[in-house]
Amino acid sequence: MGFATALACANCASAAVQTAGSEDGQWTMPSKDYAATRYSGLTQITTQNARSLHPVWTFSTGVLGGHEGQPLVVADTMYVVTPWPNVLYAFDLTHEGYPLKWKYRPEVSPNALGVACCDAVNRGAFYADGKIIYNLLDGHTVAIDARSGRELWKTQIADLGNGETTTMAPLVVRDRVLVGAAGGEFGIYGWIKGLELGSGQALWSARNLGPDEEMRVRADTFRPPYDPGANLGTQSWGNDSWRTGGAPVWGWMSYDPELDLVFYGTGNPSPYNAEQRPGDNKWSTSVLARRPGDGSLVWAYQFTPHDNWDYDATGAMVLADLTVAGHPVKALVHFDKNGFAYTFDRTSGRVLVAQPFTPVNWAQSVDLGNGRPVLNAAKQTGASRGNVKDICPSLEGGVSPASPPAYSPRTHLFYTATNNLCMDFAARHTRHLRGTPFVGVDSPYSAGPGGYLGSFMAWDAAKGTKVWENKEPFPNWSGALVTAGDVVFYGTLDGWFKSADARTGRVLSKFKVGSGVVGNPITYRGPDGRQYVAVYAGIGGDWALLAGDTRSDDPADVRAPADYVKDIARHTSQGGIIWIFGL
Amino acid sequence: MTTWTARAERWRCVLAWHGAVLLLSATLLSCGQHRVPSEPTSGVTPAVSSPSHLVAGDVAPATGTLRNPHAGDADVAHSGALLFTAMNCDGCHGGDATGWVGPNLGDGRWRYGSSDAEIFNSIYFGRPRGMPAFGGALGTEGVWTLVTYLRSLPAPPNVPTQSWQN
Repeated sequence: MGFATALACANCASAAVQTAGSEDGQWTMPSKDYAATRYSGLTQITTQNARSLHPVWTFSTGVLGGHEGQPLVVADTMYVVTPWPNVLYAFDLTHEGYPLKWKYRPEVSPNALGVACCDAVNRGAFYADGKIIYNLLDGHTVAIDARSGRELWKTQIADLGNGETTTMAPLVVRDRVLVGAAGGEFGIYGWIKGLELGSGQALWSARNLGPDEEMRVRADTFRPPYDPGANLGTQSWGNDSWRTGGAPVWGWMSYDPELDLVFYGTGNPSPYNAEQRPGDNKWSTSVLARRPGDGSLVWAYQFTPHDNWDYDATGAMVLADLTVAGHPVKALVHFDKNGFAYTFDRTSGRVLVAQPFTPVNWAQSVDLGNGRPVLNAAKQTGASRGNVKDICPSLEGGVSPASPPAYSPRTHLFYTATNNLCMDFAARHTRHLRGTPFVGVDSPYSAGPGGYLGSFMAWDAAKGTKVWENKEPFPNWSGALVTAGDVVFYGTLDGWFKSADARTGRVLSKFKVGSGVVGNPITYRGPDGRQYVAVYAGIGGDWALLAGDTRSDDPADVRAPADYVKDIARHTSQGGIIWIFGL
Repeated sequence: MTTWTARAERWRCVLAWHGAVLLLSATLLSCGQHRVPSEPTSGVTPAVSSPSHLVAGDVAPATGTLRNPHAGDADVAHSGALLFTAMNCDGCHGGDATGWVGPNLGDGRWRYGSSDAEIFNSIYFGRPRGMPAFGGALGTEGVWTLVTYLRSLPAPPNVPTQSWQN
């Protein structure tokens, strides 16, 4: 298929090359731009006036699941996708009270609630070519007419019976809609697909593991920086374990138009008991660079070979032009669940900088010569090793992949939430039974060192150093937003929404938003010409991390508080609310 | 994606799965790591019971023929606990059935009824909102074994108030 519709997608092109000077005040993609920076060039809100930020509007979604993701703002309309049942709301920003233009209520199988590993979340929509495109939890992608709310197409992309659900936000490049599926806890055979923007028809499908042909690996175009060889996706999996090896896609995607490469991360290998899958298990826990047109794999790098801690690599891959050791670099920066922050040359996939950004003890360091972690033998897990104690980070990750970072080209800093948790890990043999969990571990958490459970911090990815850090009493699951006013925005699990000085971390404003924040703030210019900031409240996303007593919806399900976040239910409970703040 | 935790570390033992449910009882006998729960495991009535249905016209339906052949049998409850892990039930309902993405099954509260027959139906036929039908994979005997296990879990006292004041 050709790229004839490229011109029709004018909005995509402008967003791709957006700079502070050309800021259009919209938020049309999940991560703001193709580089996934979550940086806005809007300047009305500054470090001087942010203290007067106050709520100007709220809306209850009526949904209790974890409100991950973010709204879109296209022209004078705000679009919001809820967790299951995945209602799409279109708010008219030109009228007082922002009444609905329409809402779209799809039929989404409730069976998906038993297949989504952690909560019935949705990470947002993508606007392209007059369409709002997003995934329903039960394995469908839909395209909705942005003006009328009418369903234009609906394509089944995933199979609930396999343990696949669809929580990620799509990425649209030219006339391709890129989508993947979650299911690392169900032993799926992970993949990514390219749908046709106009019709929703699947044009190609590429596995993240398995034989080269199914991975769309060709010897003449695949150039992995460290791991040459054919059929790595089967050779690095003992006992043919790749067939149920996981490597799902549920995080964020980015795109470099110049290199014509899409970057995304893969999740954990299945099951958690690593002894059932000897070898490196490529390309689970990896970043993959593909051509959006035909899906062919150009390079791949594995963060955690033979992952035995559930260190998914589905967090954002942020593209930025940095100066590393005096040299200009087309960089890709990634904060991994394994606790290291990586700075790559994204043209080659070689690692330039890899330093821990949160307490780490499963590895000493990352060897930049061969790209591999230098392991700590005492922290390797598996059924024969019994209960391995005190591994950091926990399998919640040094940061949750659902909490994307932001990058400011003004400060040259990255901003990210972190978790400071450790875990014990008792793996055991487990059996694959299609459509049921394929996990095999008990892994209780404990607080990490230092007497705090999470933070929000600024990171210099050229040097691999922390610049400032605001410690939080609870793990931090919010995404980040940074603006040309040098203000960063983030939420907390106990329900505060904060703005801070991007250069120092000094908190400028905070407001209690009614439920813990696991979503990602955005900013936009309203029809009245003013700058606004929007964010979801609505705790959820992972019932192993959250205390059971934050759950309020089901009196036939009573849970004790979790030891490591004993007090969280004192400060928040479930419930989705959209907030808009202004000056 | 992420996550596992068993809040209370009780007994757990590795079950080598032999591919057929009928082999289970033989397999379980060879598994010696378990600890006996400290609470009595037979004949326990949950401290909180949730009547599942209203009855139209005060005419209760005939109870039918579903009867747990192993009700109150502690050995079968042990087998059921192993089956709970072997069939990946813990993957949704958590270690020791204390709840995760799926509900807690040991708190004495039930969405779809607390009788043996109602729990049997939940497992055998599945429920909307994601509970798969396990009847085909487990067979009648396997489902009763699980029911016996779940009914053996000592329900905590019903304490509806949670207070942070001293």
